[in-house]
Amino acid sequence: MNIHFRTAVGYIKRSPFQAFAATFVLTLTFFVATLVATLVYSSSKLITYFETRPQVIAFLKDDTGQTDIADLQHKLEKDTRVKEVKYVSKEEALSIYKNATSDNPLLGELVSPSIFPASLEFSVKDLSFAQAVIDQVKGEKIVDSVGFTAAIGGESSLKDVVTRLRTITMYVRIGGIAFVGILGAASFVVLLIIISMRMAVRREEVEILNLIGATPAFIRSPIIVEALFYSLFGAFLGWLISFIAILYSAPSAVTYFGEIPVLPRDTLGLFELFGIFLAVELVAGLVLAMTGSLFAISRVKKSR
Amino acid sequence: MINFKNVTKKFGSVSALTDVSFEIKKGEFVFITGPSGAGKSTILKLILGELAPDGGTIIVDGLDIKNLKTKDVPYFRQKIGTVFQDFKVLPERTVGENVEVALAVIGLPENEWKERINHVLKLVGLTKQINLFPSQLSGGELQRVSLARALVVNPKLLLADEPTGNLDWDTSEGVVKLFEKINEEGKTVIMATHNMDIIKKFKKRIINIVNGKIVTKD
Ligand SMILES: Nc1ncnc2c1ncn2[C@@H]1O[C@H](COP(=O)(O)OP(=O)(O)O)[C@@H](O)[C@H]1O
Ligand SMILES: [Mg+2]
Repeated sequence: MNIHFRTAVGYIKRSPFQAFAATFVLTLTFFVATLVATLVYSSSKLITYFETRPQVIAFLKDDTGQTDIADLQHKLEKDTRVKEVKYVSKEEALSIYKNATSDNPLLGELVSPSIFPASLEFSVKDLSFAQAVIDQVKGEKIVDSVGFTAAIGGESSLKDVVTRLRTITMYVRIGGIAFVGILGAASFVVLLIIISMRMAVRREEVEILNLIGATPAFIRSPIIVEALFYSLFGAFLGWLISFIAILYSAPSAVTYFGEIPVLPRDTLGLFELFGIFLAVELVAGLVLAMTGSLFAISRVKKSR
Repeated sequence: MINFKNVTKKFGSVSALTDVSFEIKKGEFVFITGPSGAGKSTILKLILGELAPDGGTIIVDGLDIKNLKTKDVPYFRQKIGTVFQDFKVLPERTVGENVEVALAVIGLPENEWKERINHVLKLVGLTKQINLFPSQLSGGELQRVSLARALVVNPKLLLADEPTGNLDWDTSEGVVKLFEKINEEGKTVIMATHNMDIIKKFKKRIINIVNGKIVTKD
């Protein structure tokens, strides 16, 4: 074991409460940071979902032939503004309805396939195309009427939905990042205080080391090692706790959001996402420890 | 090795050294003697660069210490072994660790530490105390820790400030004999002391200083 490492371990052992305070505040910071990062990720996925899937439904006239439908579907598929064109037959429309009303079978019993028109569903790649595409599709002979499906919270158009989501996510992000910022600043201050205390306690040691020819780098190494220990350990622990919490709640979140990919669906993707979080947090911890200890050391020097 | 030319050092209105000049050649063994408060420690501190002179020139190992850059001070001190009057042991480290730190400071590979530490602790008679902390040691033992730390790095120059101040006669004699041995290996030894018995027994060159002024320098 390196001598600086041993020295740092000695400090930590001698003042366990300082070590606890430092680790605690850093763990808390990185715990919240991981949750906020996940929230930012999920909310951006949510927006992307609604942005890219403003389903337009073109209800078809009752007696339309299969070839006409296929022609229109083909035409839409070739349109660069349109994607994910899907044909929904009358029977499928009924089963969707029955599913949606499964908790009230009576509603399902009451209807027959004939009242549900067949339709072509599709998305536009960008919302700005929506109006033009809709107007164009309305002009098609076999199309009876055109509508948006998703109408969340009584919004009349998808554009409003997305705008509203954007506003909500923006607040979530600003709030989350501000919170992490405040916690990060608190961690920094706690690190500073602990390092400064260490420097003060070590004053005699520093003087002796100076006299026997220790370089400044030699003298500050154990302090940097100690700060690194707190911040890297805090980063890892905070990340781990939030990762476990998210792993526990992921199944219900995924079920709640249905087909919206708020979290990566496959285990590998999830681990990759959290691997990236961990890497970023370890780097952040490194930067925090280095700037904190170098700042504290330079302050102590000036005050002498 | 060491050259003092008209060196003056003041602490406020107190003149610790006045117009001090002497030369010590490589491989010499010199006692700096004089009563308490004469300026012996001040001379050693000036050599180590712990203090800066107010006037005159100090040359150590061919280097005018006025020209010593702050960043080079550590490397300059690494060549000098110092036994401090007030021991200056690290209170929170064991005897072994105190000696070890000196080796870490000079950057000696870690696998060579154990042998050197054991050797030097045997030399000063502290083998059994290797795992004790300074608070568990007597004054004489602390002095020997300071000595072990100074010797372990194999310095070209050994500065010892009252190294026998806390030791009984037998141990004192042993320590100075150790210095003689080191000196025979070609190292320069400068020892400040007011112990007349030691000075009489070991017939070495004497720089006698009283009230900050040199009285004799042989
Ligand atoms: N740091 C200091 N501040 C003020 N006066 C000092 C300081 N160091 C030494 N002196 C004074 O300088 C004189 C010489 O001290 P010193 O070199 O320690 O003497 P010695 O080692 O010969 O006993 C003494 O009068 C002492 O009081
Ligand atoms: Mg003295």
